Amino acid sequence: MKKRNIIIINILIVGLILFVIVKYANDRAHESNEASIAAFEKMTTTTEQIIANYLEDEQHLCDIWANYINRSAEAGEPMTVDEAISYIRKAKISPEISGHLIYTDDGSLDGISTSASATDPSDYSVDYSHIKIFDDLENGIAEGRVNLTRAYTNPLNGVQSIAFLNNVKVLDSETGDLRDGLVIRVVPVSRLEQKLVFLKGEYENVEISLIDWDGDYMIHGKSLKNSNFFEYFKSYNPMSPQEYNDVVNAIRTGIGSMHIRNSKKEDSVIAYTPLSGLDSWYLIAYIPATELTDSRSIDWLLLGIASVGLFILLHFNMCILRGYNRKLSIAAEAANQANEAKSLFLSTMSHDIRTPMNAIIGMNEMILRDSREEETLMYADSIRTAGDTLLGIINDILDFSKIEAGKMEIIPVDYGFVSLLNDLVNMVQRRAEEKGLSFELDVDRNIPSMLSGDEIRIKQVITNILSNAVKYTKEGGIVFSISCSKCEEDGDSVILHVSVKDTGIGIKKEDLDKLFVAFERIEEKKNRNIEGTGLGMAIAQSFLNMMDSKLCVESEYGKGSVFSFDLKQKVVNPEPMGEFDAAFKRYLSDRKQYKAKFVAPEARVLVVDDTEVNLKVFVNLLSRTKMQIETADSGDAAIALFKRNFYDVIFLDHMMPDKDGIETIKEMKACADTPNKETPVICLTANAVSGMREMYIEAGFNDYLTKPIDTGRLEKMLLKYLPHNIVETVTEDKETESLGKRQSILVINEDVNMLRRLKEWLSDSYDVTVVKSKEQAASYLKNHETDLIIAGDETALTDGTDESKIIRINTGEIDQSGAVSLAKEYFKGKH
Amino acid sequence: MKKSIKRIISAACAAMMLLAVPGCGQTGGEVSKEFTPRYSTETEYKLTIAGTYSNFESLESAFERFYAYYPNGEIQYVYLDDYRNTIIPALAGQEPPDIYVVQPWMYGDDQFAPLFDGAEVLSDPELDINLDCIRSGVRWEMDNGEILALPVFATSYGMLVNMDIFEKENLEVPENFDELVDTCEKLKAAGYESPVMGANTTTTPGIGYTFAYPMFAKTVKDDRSVEDGLNNLDPAAGEAMRDSLTRLKEFIDAGCIDVEKCSAEIEDDYNSVIMRFFEGDVPMMLCSGDVVSGTKKRESTSEAFSANPFRYDFYVAPSGDESGYYMDSVSILFSVNKNSENLDMTNEFIRFLTSEDQLGLMAQEKRLINPTDDYSIDEIYSSLSGFSEDCTVNFRDTELLDTTVKQFRAAAFAVVNGEMTVDEAVAGYGTIPTD
Repeated sequence: MKKRNIIIINILIVGLILFVIVKYANDRAHESNEASIAAFEKMTTTTEQIIANYLEDEQHLCDIWANYINRSAEAGEPMTVDEAISYIRKAKISPEISGHLIYTDDGSLDGISTSASATDPSDYSVDYSHIKIFDDLENGIAEGRVNLTRAYTNPLNGVQSIAFLNNVKVLDSETGDLRDGLVIRVVPVSRLEQKLVFLKGEYENVEISLIDWDGDYMIHGKSLKNSNFFEYFKSYNPMSPQEYNDVVNAIRTGIGSMHIRNSKKEDSVIAYTPLSGLDSWYLIAYIPATELTDSRSIDWLLLGIASVGLFILLHFNMCILRGYNRKLSIAAEAANQANEAKSLFLSTMSHDIRTPMNAIIGMNEMILRDSREEETLMYADSIRTAGDTLLGIINDILDFSKIEAGKMEIIPVDYGFVSLLNDLVNMVQRRAEEKGLSFELDVDRNIPSMLSGDEIRIKQVITNILSNAVKYTKEGGIVFSISCSKCEEDGDSVILHVSVKDTGIGIKKEDLDKLFVAFERIEEKKNRNIEGTGLGMAIAQSFLNMMDSKLCVESEYGKGSVFSFDLKQKVVNPEPMGEFDAAFKRYLSDRKQYKAKFVAPEARVLVVDDTEVNLKVFVNLLSRTKMQIETADSGDAAIALFKRNFYDVIFLDHMMPDKDGIETIKEMKACADTPNKETPVICLTANAVSGMREMYIEAGFNDYLTKPIDTGRLEKMLLKYLPHNIVETVTEDKETESLGKRQSILVINEDVNMLRRLKEWLSDSYDVTVVKSKEQAASYLKNHETDLIIAGDETALTDGTDESKIIRINTGEIDQSGAVSLAKEYFKGKH
Repeated sequence: MKKSIKRIISAACAAMMLLAVPGCGQTGGEVSKEFTPRYSTETEYKLTIAGTYSNFESLESAFERFYAYYPNGEIQYVYLDDYRNTIIPALAGQEPPDIYVVQPWMYGDDQFAPLFDGAEVLSDPELDINLDCIRSGVRWEMDNGEILALPVFATSYGMLVNMDIFEKENLEVPENFDELVDTCEKLKAAGYESPVMGANTTTTPGIGYTFAYPMFAKTVKDDRSVEDGLNNLDPAAGEAMRDSLTRLKEFIDAGCIDVEKCSAEIEDDYNSVIMRFFEGDVPMMLCSGDVVSGTKKRESTSEAFSANPFRYDFYVAPSGDESGYYMDSVSILFSVNKNSENLDMTNEFIRFLTSEDQLGLMAQEKRLINPTDDYSIDEIYSSLSGFSEDCTVNFRDTELLDTTVKQFRAAAFAVVNGEMTVDEAVAGYGTIPTD
């Protein structure tokens, strides 16, 4: 992952945590605010009760005055204005409160007061004609409720006051008439304000206001400006007329609270409630929102600390990660260098081992072809066997390298199942026979004759298993079973069930896990003499995994093992292959066309290699093709010939001193003056590590051939690239004739060396099968026919063996010429 | 580690608080650059200011600015019902105001003598009140040179002009009577039925007073010998009204104003005047400065203005041959109750208020004329800046009594409505009904 992405993810996580914290803090703050506002509303309603009770008390006192005056009138002894005022003066206790009595029936609104004018101590007259406070009492004055005026200026002392009213009947002393009057209990507003002082303890900045229906204040705190609350609200809280009306209605009709902006545009809260017992008076409690939501600041502090902490943690982690990354980079660099070193080593190993191997195997092939000396041929055969083993080890290492690098691919091709089986049997049967082991083949005759899959890898897997079985079995034998069943999921495919059972040393349960570990060899000390790298099973398992299969092992230590796997393969030709022997013969007849042996006297071939012996090997391997082969031991020499002479095919070694194969081919391709512009150039390489093919094709080679050179592959490649008109293939008739004359011989002997020798001596002229015991012979004869059985003097044979086909020999005395003569004589007698 | 974190957080909080302190100071409004508190800013106080305005938000805004210096106090503005009859008892009562409103017409009236007798001498150097910031025309020095009242707002009489109409009709605002008549003819030709409108009342914002009184005052200023006769309601002194009433009559006769239309469409001398002007089809609306003060709040309540807002300015009515006459009058003044229980803080508040900044801010918010020299604070009054001194009548240039003014208002109303000829009004001076 890129560093930037890690930082982004970390920041996102930090952001997410902060978001959760903020949300949590906000939710808690919101809950806290709601609780605070609810408590504030409760305080408001409590205050309203206090104020309402106070106002009712004041009204009650006013009513007592009025009742006393009116009862006198009702009793027929109405009081004069002076008497009434005199009574009120006596009745009232507080000097701050005054009583006014004015006439209302003539609209003069004048009368007298209990207190004298502030400017004239002798003047008790009072005049309300210029003070508009009675207009608001639209419904008149009613008994049983608070009849309260707005705050107004007491005309006698200029004090802002409120008035409680009641009607009275008084006697006009001048006229003697009973007149309607109004008794007014005048209470300074400041007295009411004093009642609210107690609230300061609970809320530091609360301000209580009383407003009337129109919003005019009776009292108001210093934060609420204007003379009218609604106008104040409108001035600092812009909104649509509809919204404004909703707010006004809410205040006039219920209890609640809302946020408003004050004159400084600060968030504030008002709680409102109507004054109970009064018409159209409302209590508004104002408080700055910050006082109700102070607790929220604690959350922000916590959030700040958490944020700083998280960012410090992030920074710390980034520093640590950076440190780790530095170390990882160094380690990765070292690993890369090690990997490069490994690749270089593999490349070098492949090249450096294959190059001499090419000479060894190539020259050995010459010996096997040309020599007629018995001992020499025996030694050469041993060299070939050792060479094949060594090549197998190298190939295993290279395969494993490819698997590790992820460059191994499964390449499905159509293949004949009989051919595959034949290669396997040929390879293993001989080795088993050499060790005197029985090799039993149990093949399902219903297996389709043509399948699609990676033939090479399947062969490699089974070969590894069979080779292991042979290697680790000292006595007994090997049973190789293959059956098939229909694939339920895919009608076009079959499942091959492959099983190899041996009577070998077996594997301990605790060692089963090591079986598929690369370079791990079970019981290393005990099996020291058995060749191998410890890669075979690991490679087999890897290949099977790549083909969606799995190698299963059942083993009993000391008794043997069963290796098995199931493999899904596409069916190309569903025709059953039938009995293996018959099918094998059919296969042989079918494959004749591919086993091309040709002569091409007109063909001109150039081979370039810096190693002289390799040039000799190459020339000798192809000597029977009668081609005209020229050699060059360096790139420069090759280029000189390339410019001068025409060639049908050029083989160019890769790893050469001074100018290597790639540099040489580039120069060749750049060369305009040459008759070889269209000549295919094939790379000869001892470097068979992964990725080579791509490199060679990219460099301009048409193909490549690995060393040690396999004659069959070499001839096949030549057939592919040589012009057909100069190639003369061996005719089909000759091949068929040759095949028909070949007789089969079964050799039975307990001496393995003798068996190997006899096989080598007779194989040039006959198909030779060797077995170690009468049981193996019986098993072989059960499935095969043979023309001759050669057995030792004392070798026991099972009953029912055709005696006419048996020749007894003294194996201690017979030599190659004797064995060949013996066979020739036998077959001569038959004809 | 924990201590370090706490220290860091504490330091951060302290830094934030320090940064926030000046910010808090700013929230209350612009603070005067010159004002330096004389007393401890922790001083607790409670002041009351009694006045005639039922609503005095511009003053309440000044309270907030004062609280920035003295936060532990409260200043309350109280509207007194029937101010002319209650202010005197209030000063003598249990809760006397610390500051009260006075108006020029109160001076000389025995009823209001206690207002001036009980006023603190604001010009006392001890108080360090910067009265020099007050425009000389509205600075009110008593005969003995003492200053007992601080002019808070100035006012004048003239007309609101719809500048968009003049721009649209490609006209200049008239500067003298001839131009006025000419402009009105053009406006009428353009479809404006009554190019000038106004409240047809006997009050100061009424048509007659706003158009003709400044000219009358100029007449008196130029010949103070007629003043006593006018104040004594001497009928012979009525001759002083002739020129101004004649010009008023010419104004009516020239068709500059449709009086009947004004009567029909403008019900009162304040709210209706503003709302009618905001309809947007009146080029010139006669009014007083007090009417102008109500325009700002009503812009949003007028649907017509909200839908089609326009630019408007205040101009002197061009009644003279050369130009109009600018009445540089005082609207209200503050006097300090020298018996105040919080006299020091009361004087401190007046000291705070007496600055070009504070008075300018108040005038701007109230939309009345600034009593200082700076007319630029409110663009609507910018036409008054630099007005010719010859054509300016300061409130102390004449000493006409309230009764004299009422006689002129009644005469002007009668002439405007054809109830009297100019000759009859002049002859009837002193006896013209004023109710």
